[in-house]
Amino acid sequence: MELQANNLSQFKLKLEDYIGVAPKIDLLIIQKLADRFTGRQILHINSTKSGGGVAEILQRMMVILSGLGINARWEVIEGNESFFDITKRMHNALQGNAEQISQDMWQSYFDVNKRNAEKLDLNADAILIHDPQPAPLIEFKTSGLWIWRCHIDISNPALKVWSLLKKYVGKYDAAIFSVAKFAKSLPLDKFIIPPAIAPMSDKNRDLANKEIQNVLTTLNIPVDKPIILQVSRFDRFKDPRGVIQAYRLVKKYNDCRLVLAGSPATDDPEGEMILNEVKEFAGNDQDISILLLPPSSHIEINALQRAATVVLQKSLKEGFGLTVSEAMWKGKPVIGGAVGGIPLQIIHGVTGFLVNSVEGTALRIRQILNNPDMAKRMGESGREYVRKNFLITRQIRDYLSMWYLIENKGKSVLEL
Amino acid sequence: MEAIKPFEFKQCITILKATGEKAKNLRELRDRISDVSDESMFHHMYQYFLKEQRVLEYTNDFAEWAGETLKENVLSEQLSNIDPYSFKSIVDLRNEIVRVIDAYLKTFPKTRAVLLGDEFYFNEGITLVSPVGIQVKNLAEFLIAIRYVELESIYYHFYEARIRPPEEVDDFSHWFGDTLNKKGLADRIRSIDPFMHSLEAARQHIIELVEDELQNDMEKF
Repeated sequence: MELQANNLSQFKLKLEDYIGVAPKIDLLIIQKLADRFTGRQILHINSTKSGGGVAEILQRMMVILSGLGINARWEVIEGNESFFDITKRMHNALQGNAEQISQDMWQSYFDVNKRNAEKLDLNADAILIHDPQPAPLIEFKTSGLWIWRCHIDISNPALKVWSLLKKYVGKYDAAIFSVAKFAKSLPLDKFIIPPAIAPMSDKNRDLANKEIQNVLTTLNIPVDKPIILQVSRFDRFKDPRGVIQAYRLVKKYNDCRLVLAGSPATDDPEGEMILNEVKEFAGNDQDISILLLPPSSHIEINALQRAATVVLQKSLKEGFGLTVSEAMWKGKPVIGGAVGGIPLQIIHGVTGFLVNSVEGTALRIRQILNNPDMAKRMGESGREYVRKNFLITRQIRDYLSMWYLIENKGKSVLEL
Repeated sequence: MEAIKPFEFKQCITILKATGEKAKNLRELRDRISDVSDESMFHHMYQYFLKEQRVLEYTNDFAEWAGETLKENVLSEQLSNIDPYSFKSIVDLRNEIVRVIDAYLKTFPKTRAVLLGDEFYFNEGITLVSPVGIQVKNLAEFLIAIRYVELESIYYHFYEARIRPPEEVDDFSHWFGDTLNKKGLADRIRSIDPFMHSLEAARQHIIELVEDELQNDMEKF
């Protein structure tokens, strides 16, 4: 399935719309590099057109790149339930879980990619393949620079699964990891490029109080007490049970509500099962709201984050955890698990707190609830930190820079 | 009369590459330091000053890891005391770091391994430089600009320039001395020790010295 910029008309922001929002240097470098790449083709391929941070960023990146004169395309591979079950197992195994993936499954994984390769136009100057699902497409390379973009934490993978996936990854020209410690030992250039948020998207733009109120009323969330929020897929690695346990510890001291909000993703078949487990664990507590929202619920997520007093991302494993930057952009103190890319976003004690346990999470929630001035300072620091480091413009800057560096190998300083 | 060559403010960004090398104890750190690329040494020693929330006790990534993760506080202080701007080459700098670690290991030969995930990861920084669209022709314009350029611009002109051939002096004093013929101001700017200041503190010192110079110039009339 091909998604071109002109098919993404709802995401219409051009580079100039980021003037005054994004750091000036990022915009300057993007423009200078885009001038060098005018008319060149960049192709992104992933496995879902909605749900999750990757799709959200790609939607907007296409429009910005096309507006700059770069021929940007985005393809989504197609697969059946069985394929996504295999790739979910792979995803879990790469993040360290024990999973059984048979030889037949590996063959099926390759066959689905082969069928996609027969349908897709894989010709471009730079081809970015996102995550393990479409990784075998490298076998059908005809031209261009092929770059594998890994969004997940593969620092401690199930070795058998990694060694089989590595047969594909090793054939790429370069790889991108979100965090240095995720980078594997591979005989190719390994760039470190954190992901980013779109600051003026429906999920992150400023909202009027009335808009926030309307959402809360629709979702049946009263505003009579402080809201503790975690936004994430219903996934064991996001530790929704741990969040509920921390909330129960806090509740002994501070009256509050807990909202767990997430969306299903087409490439995550486990979501429904985990959701049911979480609902059962929450029991009949009227102050816990568990919301399964459609993937398009960007304004709802935005309003929930703005209404929250504390935002959590209590992950046990995390690729990057963009919800952390989303909440920080809204001036909220964030408590996050000290895993994956979360420590890159949360400066402990400055923009929020890093935690390692249910008890630690509960303690930090209580500190924030009891110190509103500190919470405000953390929120302000967090917003500026995100502005400088985690906006989509910085990510586009880095992708174009990487492309430029691969084509100008051997230099450690380049003047634009 | 010959036109004054304006000073053009530039700014750098760093694109990070992982080397794939890591160290889980002090001996491995020492061994990797002795053979990682110059770009990696440059990143961990010089570009540390670009870190927004750097811990003031430390002046480079190796010292920070030794202090925060290995809890080898003596070594951490010794490594922090190594001023990268006092070395003529990365080779000399690398040799000094290895010498300091070797001496420490001689006294404290037992090393302990860190937990999985807390290893030292060796990265390389590749620098992209771009003008930021600000040109100044005299000290008064310079004073306005220096107040609001980004800290990464201060780093590029005042820190990184010191190891950039052929001049190997900061860009500000070079322009003051060579273009504005203000040798005294140039000398005073050069006397600011970048190693002893954060980027913001260095900016404030430069502002103070330029303000003094402007005040003196005005009083002459």
